[in-house]
Amino acid sequence: MRRGRFSTSRSCPRIQHKQSACTGTSTDTSWTLGLFWARMGSRTAFVVLVFQLMVLSGFICAFPTPTASATDKTVSNRQLTEEKPLKEQMAEADGVKAALQSIETKPPTASEDLDSDPDELKALADTHQPKESPKVPVQVGHKVEQYIPDESDSTKSRRLAEDYDSTKKGMDQDEPESFHQVDGTLLTAEDIVQKIANKIYEEDDRGVFDRIVSKLLKLGLITDTQADNLEYQVAEALQDLITTNAKNNEITDADDTGKDTRGQEDSDANLWDSPQRRYNADEGDEEEEAEDEADAEEDDTADHMWDRDTQEVNEVNPEDGLQDLQYFPNFYRLLRSLDSERDTQERETLITIMKTLIDFVKMMVKYGTITPEEGVSYLENLDAMIAMQTKNKLGKALGSADATGANGKNMDDDDNTKADAAKMQKEYENLKDSTKEEQPSSETSRAGKAETYLEAIRKNIEWLKKHNKEEGKDDYDLSKLKDFMDQQVDAYIQKGIIAKDEGDTIKRIYSSL
Amino acid sequence: MCACRVGLDAVETHGGCAQVREPGSDGEISFEYHRYEELRKALVSVWLQCPTITRIYTIGESFEGRELLVLEMSDNPGTHEPGEPEFKYIANMHGNEAVGRELLIYLAQYLCNQYQQGNETIIDLIHNTRIHLMPSMNPDGFEKAASQPGEIKDWFVGRSNAQGVDLNRNFPDLDRIIYINEREGGANNHLLQNMKKAVDENTKLAPETKAVVHWIMDIPFVLSANLHGGDVVANYPYDETRTGSTHEYSASPDDVMFKSLARAYSIYNPVMSDPHRPPCRKNDDDSSFKDGITNGGAWYSVPGGMQDFNYLSSNCFEITLELSCDKFPNEDTLKTYWEQNRNSLVNYIEQVHRGVKGFVRDLQGNPISNATISVEGIDHDITTAKDGDYWRLLAPGNYKVAASAPGYLTVIKKVAVPYSPATRVDFELESLMERKEEEREELMDWWKMMSETLNF
Repeated sequence: MRRGRFSTSRSCPRIQHKQSACTGTSTDTSWTLGLFWARMGSRTAFVVLVFQLMVLSGFICAFPTPTASATDKTVSNRQLTEEKPLKEQMAEADGVKAALQSIETKPPTASEDLDSDPDELKALADTHQPKESPKVPVQVGHKVEQYIPDESDSTKSRRLAEDYDSTKKGMDQDEPESFHQVDGTLLTAEDIVQKIANKIYEEDDRGVFDRIVSKLLKLGLITDTQADNLEYQVAEALQDLITTNAKNNEITDADDTGKDTRGQEDSDANLWDSPQRRYNADEGDEEEEAEDEADAEEDDTADHMWDRDTQEVNEVNPEDGLQDLQYFPNFYRLLRSLDSERDTQERETLITIMKTLIDFVKMMVKYGTITPEEGVSYLENLDAMIAMQTKNKLGKALGSADATGANGKNMDDDDNTKADAAKMQKEYENLKDSTKEEQPSSETSRAGKAETYLEAIRKNIEWLKKHNKEEGKDDYDLSKLKDFMDQQVDAYIQKGIIAKDEGDTIKRIYSSL
Repeated sequence: MCACRVGLDAVETHGGCAQVREPGSDGEISFEYHRYEELRKALVSVWLQCPTITRIYTIGESFEGRELLVLEMSDNPGTHEPGEPEFKYIANMHGNEAVGRELLIYLAQYLCNQYQQGNETIIDLIHNTRIHLMPSMNPDGFEKAASQPGEIKDWFVGRSNAQGVDLNRNFPDLDRIIYINEREGGANNHLLQNMKKAVDENTKLAPETKAVVHWIMDIPFVLSANLHGGDVVANYPYDETRTGSTHEYSASPDDVMFKSLARAYSIYNPVMSDPHRPPCRKNDDDSSFKDGITNGGAWYSVPGGMQDFNYLSSNCFEITLELSCDKFPNEDTLKTYWEQNRNSLVNYIEQVHRGVKGFVRDLQGNPISNATISVEGIDHDITTAKDGDYWRLLAPGNYKVAASAPGYLTVIKKVAVPYSPATRVDFELESLMERKEEEREELMDWWKMMSETLNF
């Protein structure tokens, strides 16, 4: 019956959630009032009227009030209002606990491995302000003020797609290792850079920087580009530090304790041999030069490889590069087949790309972004793909036919994204880590999946680029997208929507962009 | 059948598979059957290609532990935007009725591709709707059906879930209750209100059924369709006959609207709407089919079906789409089925933007959730969702729409409803308390004046 709600029933329980509710309408009450009016004299009627109204008002109090809808809003928004603060509290509690613990730990030594970096970072903080948060938000240079407040609540900074739909089964858990502000003061980028530089200076060990940054990279708190920037900034800061200290030493030298300061100067010179080789530290204003040379010298230092511009790589002797490439037979054949004057440009480009790829892969291994097994599969597929591509595009085989490559995918050689990813796989044959024990699963199916996913991701990136161009945005969103995707991948793995190895594949593809 | 995929930038065709890609065509979809792993992979690929407008989630597990996967598409996936209607397609609840399952995978790929290629219709649709696609409600059944050797698949193998339950007879039978209420009085909708606990404790409900029931309770779906095979027609409520006879036209209060919705699908499917189409099997009785649509009870009585459950437990209008005479046809027919159904599938989603829609709020602007929206002459009320938003599908005409909520004064508005788009009608409800307060103050003033005049 459609009008069931307009019954004259008077029992009105708290009706927020019940279907059969007493709403009452003005018709009911006025009917009752009218009745009384009719029966009484005017005076009495007024008294009774007022009395009745009061009774009804008190009675009506049992009805839901406008605040009921406010409660509705609160209920519907509960997850938006309550859940975040709760997580913040938990996160802050972790941060406080971590900070307190760090004060009691021993000072870090050079032999500390990567896993104890939280302690190191905290000790770093301890050096200057014992109570300050161990967290090191690292958006150096530019958007410091915008970025750091996000970091203070890591749940917010990492969650780019808020999901409060109850179809979602539980929120992502906080990273237990994330760092938080404790006392509320914000570390500026300059502070951080200064602190790291100081730490390096005091520890006499450039490895400090590597460890810190690798930990940050591993936790996904900074991107590779940011790591680069950080390195430059720290280098500069270090320069200044050395310069300042040297000058101070000279001044104090002039005063009295020449022996001590001389000793210090000497040790300074020795200590900074290694970084100086990288940063070319002279007193004063050679910082820019230092950076350039540092980049150029990176090839020589096998342990410390960072992203670099293709242009700088070109300055490297191609002959050196080719030695690395001998492990990729198909690629090598390809190169050799291009050995005419006409193809020199292409040859150089290919070599350059390959070398860049070597560095990518080494860095990813170093910082644990990929496992050696994944790299192996990359490389195996890459070599095969190169063979196939060459056959298709150039219309000639590369010598011995490679049978494993048939997977039905078309790839453009001109697409750097795919070429890079593909080459990464090939490169990895060089870098098999013998300490790893686990065996890679069936290569073909994983290769097939990786192909499909790669294709899909490529389409997305292309669309993003096109879309952003149309709207006049720049490519800044790429790192945000990467973070978002990593986060989503983890959520999906947790819910059983994608398998762990698939998730790793996806993450790997994204981090290679 | 080769499974080849032609990339957006490819200028050559992969050897052995000469698929020519026309702009805006389906050259990027690979028309083949997807087993569970392949289904998952396909959905993940769509998500990877269109991560800003898609999200994958699962509403639970099948009996054998396969995820009941849903791909959601909207401009803000994961969020119900106030005022944005929710839509769903569910397929393959009978595991051996395979065409719908595949169509939803192709649809997902199609929508993503078209979105990126700038198709304005699709872009608008995705921006203004929240679309949920569940390619398979019965993945266990499908595996059983697909594992059969040979081309010809049995009519029944794989139909039910792994427990042998026919999921489309497994839903709580609310038709029976509504028929009683029609005769004796009672609620005309939301009949499951007091039965949530009963649903959870009901041992006869399959896990797939329970998952869908919870899904329907959680998301304020407005429109839906349920994809089957074995015939070609668009079927609408009620499915169960009132008298219990095997064939009887059983009209719902929204019979007019349902006919319109069913036609909106069939009209773009050339096979479904072909008036001269012979029945799928020689002795089939398709006398109830007209313009490619049929009332459920008129065709044959189905108790415990998902379609009617939607309509009677929630605000969602659902119809049943039978898409192929052959339940599990040969793989090389899939492309044809896609071509026959693509436009219908898209057009049906657009039907969600019809009738009246809006917000119900109190005088302070706060949303009133679970308020009732009733339409004079249609004995089927709907309710507002958490943000006070509602969507009432209506065929073109003049209506009186009333919004009411416990503790508030009812407001009635007259609306002229065109075919589309939906007409926006908002309600501001005055709470009884406020009205009482006003009246009280008026009377107090009057009393005061009288007492002064009369020297009380």
